[in-house]
Amino acid sequence: MKLEEMKSLWAEMSLKLENQKCLTDKLILDMTQERYVNKFTKIQMYESVGAIICFAAALIIIINLGKLDTWYLLTFGIITIAFLILMPILVLRSIKSIKHLNLTSNNYKETIISFAKAKKNLLTFQKAGIYLSFLLALVIMPVASKIFNNKDFFNTEHSTKFWIVLPLFFVGLFFFAKWGYRSYQNITNSAENILKELEN
Amino acid sequence: MQRKEEFIKIIKENEGIIYKISRVYTNDIEDQKDLYQEIVFQLWKSFDSFKGNSKFSTWMYRIALNTSITYLNSQKRKSNQVSIDFELLNRVEEYDGLIQERIDILYAHIKELSIIEKGIILLYLEGKSYDEIASITGFTNSNVGTRLSRIKLKLKDEIIK
Repeated sequence: MKLEEMKSLWAEMSLKLENQKCLTDKLILDMTQERYVNKFTKIQMYESVGAIICFAAALIIIINLGKLDTWYLLTFGIITIAFLILMPILVLRSIKSIKHLNLTSNNYKETIISFAKAKKNLLTFQKAGIYLSFLLALVIMPVASKIFNNKDFFNTEHSTKFWIVLPLFFVGLFFFAKWGYRSYQNITNSAENILKELEN
Repeated sequence: MQRKEEFIKIIKENEGIIYKISRVYTNDIEDQKDLYQEIVFQLWKSFDSFKGNSKFSTWMYRIALNTSITYLNSQKRKSNQVSIDFELLNRVEEYDGLIQERIDILYAHIKELSIIEKGIILLYLEGKSYDEIASITGFTNSNVGTRLSRIKLKLKDEIIK
């Protein structure tokens, strides 16, 4: 099938479609109502729930900041608060920028560039979040131990069970991060490829 | 109300175009239904911005193609989708077997192309001139020509395979 053949077949198909009117007034009116959830709205909903949980955790630490009575616990507490507040904000902002792309006045090329860039941004933050979750897992333990049990993590004897569970947790986190990174990497690469193709 | 009636009339006149665009940018019938609705919704949302300075079809292609770029094909289905009559997306089944097969091959070849190329080839197949393609896509006239030549070569390779 050559391009010219494709064109004539396309024209034939278009003609058939022209004669097959299927839409009713009601169906069109239904579609003008936002009755379905756009996929980015769905992602935004999940991320918003995550953000509320993060903010609540940050608030608990802020309220109990006075309990963190050594310089290292205080440092860990501040790192945790910064992570719990900044990461969700950055991710939600990236989603918002995707959702608010101007589909009306932008042309195809502009939309491709804006969308690829916004998607790359979002994925970069999410990828960073995966790496930083290792750091968060490390720093949140002493903070939580002090706030909830009033025990200094570094001056407490830990049970054998703890030393078995801890490495297992990090191994699990490592595989989860590796899986997440690979998924994000594929999507980020596709966004980069589109941008490269536009330069040609 | 008059505006809605006007919109309904225009959508009815152009429903075939929305069908073709939604088919090119999706991989299964559920995603196609979903994108079809999203395009109609975006067109309605932007309808007031259509001033009549450009041709309606140019304006519509632009919004429909832009919506398709930002559409994410999903693995999971949504439950709150407007129920589109199955016939709406299954109409080409009325063709005879051979034509149907050729149409499926045609769509399969287009789907193999990159997102940039899909838009250009779609407009080309729709019979748009280089000027119109350039105006909708934002590429220069000569760039549209270059890209179309590359697409021709790519499709030739695909077909030989």
